[in-house]
Amino acid sequence: MSLLRSPSKEPLWKDEFSVFTSDERYVTRRQFTKFLTLASLGMFVGNLWILVKAYFTRTPSLPSVVVAEVGEIPVRGVKLFTYPTPQDHCILIRTGEEEYVAFSQKCTHLSCAVYFSAKEERLECPCHQGFFSVKDGSVLQGPPPRPLPRITLERDGARLLAVGVS
Amino acid sequence: MHGYEFYVDPSRCIGCQSCVKACEECDTHRGTSMVNFDFIDRGGTTASAAYVCWHCEEPTCAMACPTDAIKKGDDGIVQSSLKPRCIGCSNCVLACPFGIPKIFPEYEQMMKCDMCYDRTSVGKRPMCATVCPSQALSYVRPEEIAGRREKPTNVFQFGNQKIVTRVHMMVPAETDSVSLDVLDYMWEESYVAFAQPQ
Amino acid sequence: MAEPSISLKSLVERFGPHPAYTPPGGWQDESRNPAERLVKTHCCFCGQQCGIQLKVRGNQVIGFEPWEEFPFNHGMLCPKGVKRYMQGGHPDRLLDPLMRAPQGFRVSSWDEALDFTTRRLREIQEKHGKDSVAIYGGASLISEKSYLLGKFARVALGTRHIDYNGRLCMVSAAAAYKLAFGVDRSPFPWSDIPKAQVVLVAGANVAECAPITTDYLWRCRDAGGKLIIVDPRMTPICRNADIYLPVRPGTDLALYMGLLHVILRDGLEHRDFISAYTSGFEEVAESARAWDPRTVAEKTGVPPESIERTARLFAKAERAIVLHSRGVEHQSKGVENCSALINLCLATGNIGREGAGCAMITGQGNGQGGREHGQKCDQLPGQRSISDPEARAHMAKVWGIAPDEIPQAGYSAVEIMEAIHRGEIKALLSACFNPLVSLPDAKFTKEALEKLEFFGVVDFFLSETAHHADVVLAGSLQEEEEGTGCTAEGRVIHIQKAVDPPGNAKGDSWIYCELAKRLGKGKYFPYASTKEIYDELREASRGGHADYFGITYEKIDEKMGVFWPCPSLDHPGTPRLFEDGRSFHLDGKHHFVVTEWRDSGDPVSSEFPIYLTTGRVVSQYLSGTQTRRIGGLLEQYPNPRLEIHPRLAAQYEIKDGDWVAVATRRSEITLQAMVVKTIRPDTVFIPYHWPGGRSANRLTHRTLDPRSKIPEYKVSACQLRLADGPPDWALSSPEHPFEPRKAKPDARLRILR
Repeated sequence: MSLLRSPSKEPLWKDEFSVFTSDERYVTRRQFTKFLTLASLGMFVGNLWILVKAYFTRTPSLPSVVVAEVGEIPVRGVKLFTYPTPQDHCILIRTGEEEYVAFSQKCTHLSCAVYFSAKEERLECPCHQGFFSVKDGSVLQGPPPRPLPRITLERDGARLLAVGVS
Repeated sequence: MHGYEFYVDPSRCIGCQSCVKACEECDTHRGTSMVNFDFIDRGGTTASAAYVCWHCEEPTCAMACPTDAIKKGDDGIVQSSLKPRCIGCSNCVLACPFGIPKIFPEYEQMMKCDMCYDRTSVGKRPMCATVCPSQALSYVRPEEIAGRREKPTNVFQFGNQKIVTRVHMMVPAETDSVSLDVLDYMWEESYVAFAQPQ
Repeated sequence: MAEPSISLKSLVERFGPHPAYTPPGGWQDESRNPAERLVKTHCCFCGQQCGIQLKVRGNQVIGFEPWEEFPFNHGMLCPKGVKRYMQGGHPDRLLDPLMRAPQGFRVSSWDEALDFTTRRLREIQEKHGKDSVAIYGGASLISEKSYLLGKFARVALGTRHIDYNGRLCMVSAAAAYKLAFGVDRSPFPWSDIPKAQVVLVAGANVAECAPITTDYLWRCRDAGGKLIIVDPRMTPICRNADIYLPVRPGTDLALYMGLLHVILRDGLEHRDFISAYTSGFEEVAESARAWDPRTVAEKTGVPPESIERTARLFAKAERAIVLHSRGVEHQSKGVENCSALINLCLATGNIGREGAGCAMITGQGNGQGGREHGQKCDQLPGQRSISDPEARAHMAKVWGIAPDEIPQAGYSAVEIMEAIHRGEIKALLSACFNPLVSLPDAKFTKEALEKLEFFGVVDFFLSETAHHADVVLAGSLQEEEEGTGCTAEGRVIHIQKAVDPPGNAKGDSWIYCELAKRLGKGKYFPYASTKEIYDELREASRGGHADYFGITYEKIDEKMGVFWPCPSLDHPGTPRLFEDGRSFHLDGKHHFVVTEWRDSGDPVSSEFPIYLTTGRVVSQYLSGTQTRRIGGLLEQYPNPRLEIHPRLAAQYEIKDGDWVAVATRRSEITLQAMVVKTIRPDTVFIPYHWPGGRSANRLTHRTLDPRSKIPEYKVSACQLRLADGPPDWALSSPEHPFEPRKAKPDARLRILR
């Protein structure tokens, strides 16, 4: 308690039990109960507000970023990129002539970087043998608990754009 | 009340005790008077004096109270003891240098003048100062007191304790504080308790 | 009538005085049942007539609130004013008319009581003549009722004997001022007092009898004024006196002649003023010749140097005021004393301008109004004389009767009692008067009352005098009827009606109108309200000195009081008189009045060597009928004490608190001594507010001032003796000593724990 006091020449008891009502820190039960009630009420109202706001608000859209040119990588080739921020590493795979998929590279187990195994045609995590499907990022084997987040791609002429994370 | 001050001038008191009678007509301690009225020495003189609580800035009674029952509000009024806390120990009675607080055994509580709080807090004047026919107790603006021959002071010296009060005492014009100890009038700067033996 | 039918003790047990300590319902009642309205009115007690507001709930007065806007007192009050509201709802209040019965009194109906009264009055008048009936009025009655009583006596009863308790108060001053100025009123408003440079207060215990005047005197001193006090006692006002003159009781005249002597000797008189505005100076100057300071000192006991100093201080001041009260007026030379004081002011030019003048301090609530509108034995409304043919003609017109139907002057108050005693007056109808306590020589009064064939009383409490009544008509308190009064300053004020009379009590004015009706004179008393009486009063006073014609209730409320004379509705009133230098005499001059020395009527002798003087205390009012019923006021000063100087006390081995028997040529009472240095060593003092064995008036004598007929209360001769023990009244008699109550908590006070 004494750590929180502003510096004072008076002994502690004088400050605690001041004769001046303006300095009084004694809180009555009634005052405290009132405070609790009001705080609860406040929090309830706050939550209601958040709920209402969330209901009426769209999720914000993520930016579209150019990832690669069409034909830049060979079939069963891989390009690494970052989306939406430079810290989010992602992997683009050309699974067919005209088919491209992109996923977040962070393994959902312990965030190791996954790589594409062309031989097995799957995404593999080298740390704990976690395997993901290259079609939808679902877990094929191993400790990862959730599928890999998929990067939504859009083709804009000769360019491939990453537009969202699902 | 804003702009109004309380002035006590015992030399104007005529002993009618109107203040004593009017005090018990207020709403805070109805039926009991809180004015300290005194015939100084009726055998020798008709001089009398009436006093109210001086509402000191640092009230000795409040500081001596062991249960923190006496409070002084932001308006400068020292209230009677809080009923849930007062234990009737008489510390305040003994501590007050003016002898104002009184213990009421039937209520087990100290009560004293609270400057008619029910009146002054809503812009009315205290009962005693309103009715006093000689204005020995007055509650007026400082400009009105300026016309008197005496001048107000609110500084008292009780030995080592300097007390500044909210209520003013009228004293001769050259006086700036009320000292009741010979020491304050002595020339020596330090006081030697006993004469040193030869 | 004969003696009361039951013992005094039983009467007191039944009817009081019982002290009331709390408002009706207790102290906490107001917070549960708050007041509904505030009524701005005036105090019911002394002549200062302080403004006050009464808290009213329903039909009851439950408290008070200061009225700070009223310009005379700015909210200030004395303890009597603070506590007066406790008369409302008092257990001793008479709620029904009473008739004498073997068990004391029995409740009766109004018809029975009023019919009985009128029957008896008529019978006695038929048998013994119109003048065998007398009326007593009082100076606490509003002017409307004073007027009504005067008219009742002369028109309804046709008796010449009507007088009032103001005979014991203001008549010396009234006579002196009429002789000097032709009019009887304070010549200046109280607001002039702080403007004076010197104030001489003679025979006035201002602090205890007119407390609010204290503030005016202190403000005069704040402005540099000097205060001179003349009194055998050092009363609280002497605290700040510059000169104190302890005059021997009864010797005031010598003192004021001495002051005049010094002023004339040193050439300090205001020659121009005297020659321009006054007449009769030469004779007065001649009469002052014999009063040199040494002679005066021997007569009065005041040192010659003090006399010189006072005279010079007074005369050299540009503006000087003299205030005087019963101390100089309650003497057989009461008129002379006032005349001598007026002479001093005239000689120094102190009249008719701001801050200067000579004024009486009227003591009773409506002492001024009550001495103007015909309640006096020699007076008609408007301060007219009953013997003046013009006045009689005017009144006869207003009243609708023939001028010769108005009786001539009758007996004054004490003379009425003497006439009753010798059997000349057989019936008495009294209101607002307690003569058994307030007239001198109480034993004589008691004997007289017991001889009355009929005695009717109108009152709201059963006073000691009313114990002797045949019929008691339950009347009204001051707050129960609307009307006007006139204050000590000459300011006409408005008394508001706050509540109706409780129970079956009725307004006093209704009672007198009913009596008049039953006497067959109802057509002269057609009033439905006091306001109608007031309108007739205005008409009646019109053209007289005390001209109220231009004063209406609305005007009073608007201007916070109007000073008379106010001859027309647009006239603003006259706060200060004589500003044009003219008096109200036909010659317009102020008259110097010659005064001659006489000894007092009860001189000291070897058998009765000590002067006895009587007076008042601040917590009680007049005969105490009202204030002895208020607990808080009784606590302040419960029983009369004998004030005695230590030197005199030592001669008799009297210590403070001892029981002392005080005897005069009339009677003896025993009181506790109060040994104080604040009184002359040859004088003792007793306050007179108590009855029976505590009554100072058992000791006083019936010498009257020959012109004013005021009794000489202030000068008696007495002897002292250490009593063997407490008297009857202090032991087991009905007038038991008042025990201050032990503080008891109100059981209904809820204490939060």
